[in-house]
Amino acid sequence: MPGLVLYNYELDESCYKVRLALSLLGLDWQPVAVDVFPGKEHLTPPYLAMSPAGRLPILRDGDLVLHGTEAILAHLARTHDPSGKWLPPNGAGFAVVMQWLNFSAHDLGVTIAARRQSLFDTPGDEAALRAASSHAIRIMDDHMTARGFARADWFAAGHATIADIALFPAFALSRDFGIDHDEYPALRRWARRFRTLPGFKTMPGIPDYH
Amino acid sequence: MNDGDNWHPVGLSHSIEAGSSAGTRLFGQELVVWRDTSGMAHVWEDRCPHRGMKLSFGFVRGDHIACLYHGWQYDRGGYCRYIPAHPDLDVPKTFKVPVYVTQEQGGMIWTTLSGNPAPLAVDRDQTVPLRSLYLDCSAQAAIAELGMVKLVPFVSRGLADTVVHRLTDTLYAVSTGGDRLRVGIQAISETRTALHVAICGSPELYEGSGQSHFLDWALQLRRAIQQPRPRAPAARGAAAEMN
Repeated sequence: MPGLVLYNYELDESCYKVRLALSLLGLDWQPVAVDVFPGKEHLTPPYLAMSPAGRLPILRDGDLVLHGTEAILAHLARTHDPSGKWLPPNGAGFAVVMQWLNFSAHDLGVTIAARRQSLFDTPGDEAALRAASSHAIRIMDDHMTARGFARADWFAAGHATIADIALFPAFALSRDFGIDHDEYPALRRWARRFRTLPGFKTMPGIPDYH
Repeated sequence: MNDGDNWHPVGLSHSIEAGSSAGTRLFGQELVVWRDTSGMAHVWEDRCPHRGMKLSFGFVRGDHIACLYHGWQYDRGGYCRYIPAHPDLDVPKTFKVPVYVTQEQGGMIWTTLSGNPAPLAVDRDQTVPLRSLYLDCSAQAAIAELGMVKLVPFVSRGLADTVVHRLTDTLYAVSTGGDRLRVGIQAISETRTALHVAICGSPELYEGSGQSHFLDWALQLRRAIQQPRPRAPAARGAAAEMN
């Protein structure tokens, strides 16, 4: 199968990260809609064969089938971005992008759990998930406050990288799980800038008007 | 201090960009703080009179703020001026959002819930923005802790005492050597408080490395106020007695 194929669920914020990357990189791609809710299609044998942990997104790039959001973002940037900006090739730029991808994969997991609990009533302690989520989002706001003092607009470099793509949905969708943007001024500023990137797209839960 | 007649800071000026809005609360009352594209700040009740939607979820266009639900647009006075579903309607004056007196001084946006406030007693010194700290405690508890983390001087680089000084009910100074921070106290609710911190002085002196220097103090103060207190020894004694 030629080209890029994304196994996609429209309401999944991790799929949205990949849709954002594909759009910001200006790539042609085909979506395959997966009936996650209520169908649980991502847990059926054909999907488990591609992503054994049962998680979306899954990207097919020619013969390569890839799962894991951060791996997919890194692959797209390294393979399909001739400018090399979205994933700096080496040095501190590369290292800091990896640090925030790791933060996204690990520390922002609570925001995904909080949103699922809120939207789809999956199990979880709502108050604990919300407290952990606001703690993680505040770490991001502290970082962008410090970056602002250094006259830097983006998380990891002097320009947007896949770190910004990986971190954007947790903040942009935080109202889905009861966290307002009120107490995070540095992230409001960053999100307003992020929305002006050429190729930016919203998803359900992120207003078109702002 | 928690009366509506006082002036209260609701954010650092720097935190509300032109053409943007954010919600906040004062004594539990929901407010929207927004800045029109000409740069003027406004503090209103955070509620669209049409369906009760928060206006802080809305969007700013010129000198109007619009509700995200149905696009009703309000002018600087809080009057509804345009309803997209009825573009030719001359909107009645009764469609109005309650607005509060708003001033900007000393790097902060100030408002009062009083209809007839005393003049705002904040001097016009130059400031450089630092950080707003949002804390799970009362305003009184936050004020009591302002001096608990030592402030390290930036200008003189020497050792000096950290001095906390009350300027008004809602504005304190924390100083050391030749440096002075100004801390605005916002009583969000009885159990939630915002400290809006700005550095007194010129951008030439403090922008960049001065801000980074004092950000450390602000984050340490937040950690110190929020960390769980060690239990009193009496608790251990009581447990021992039970054994």
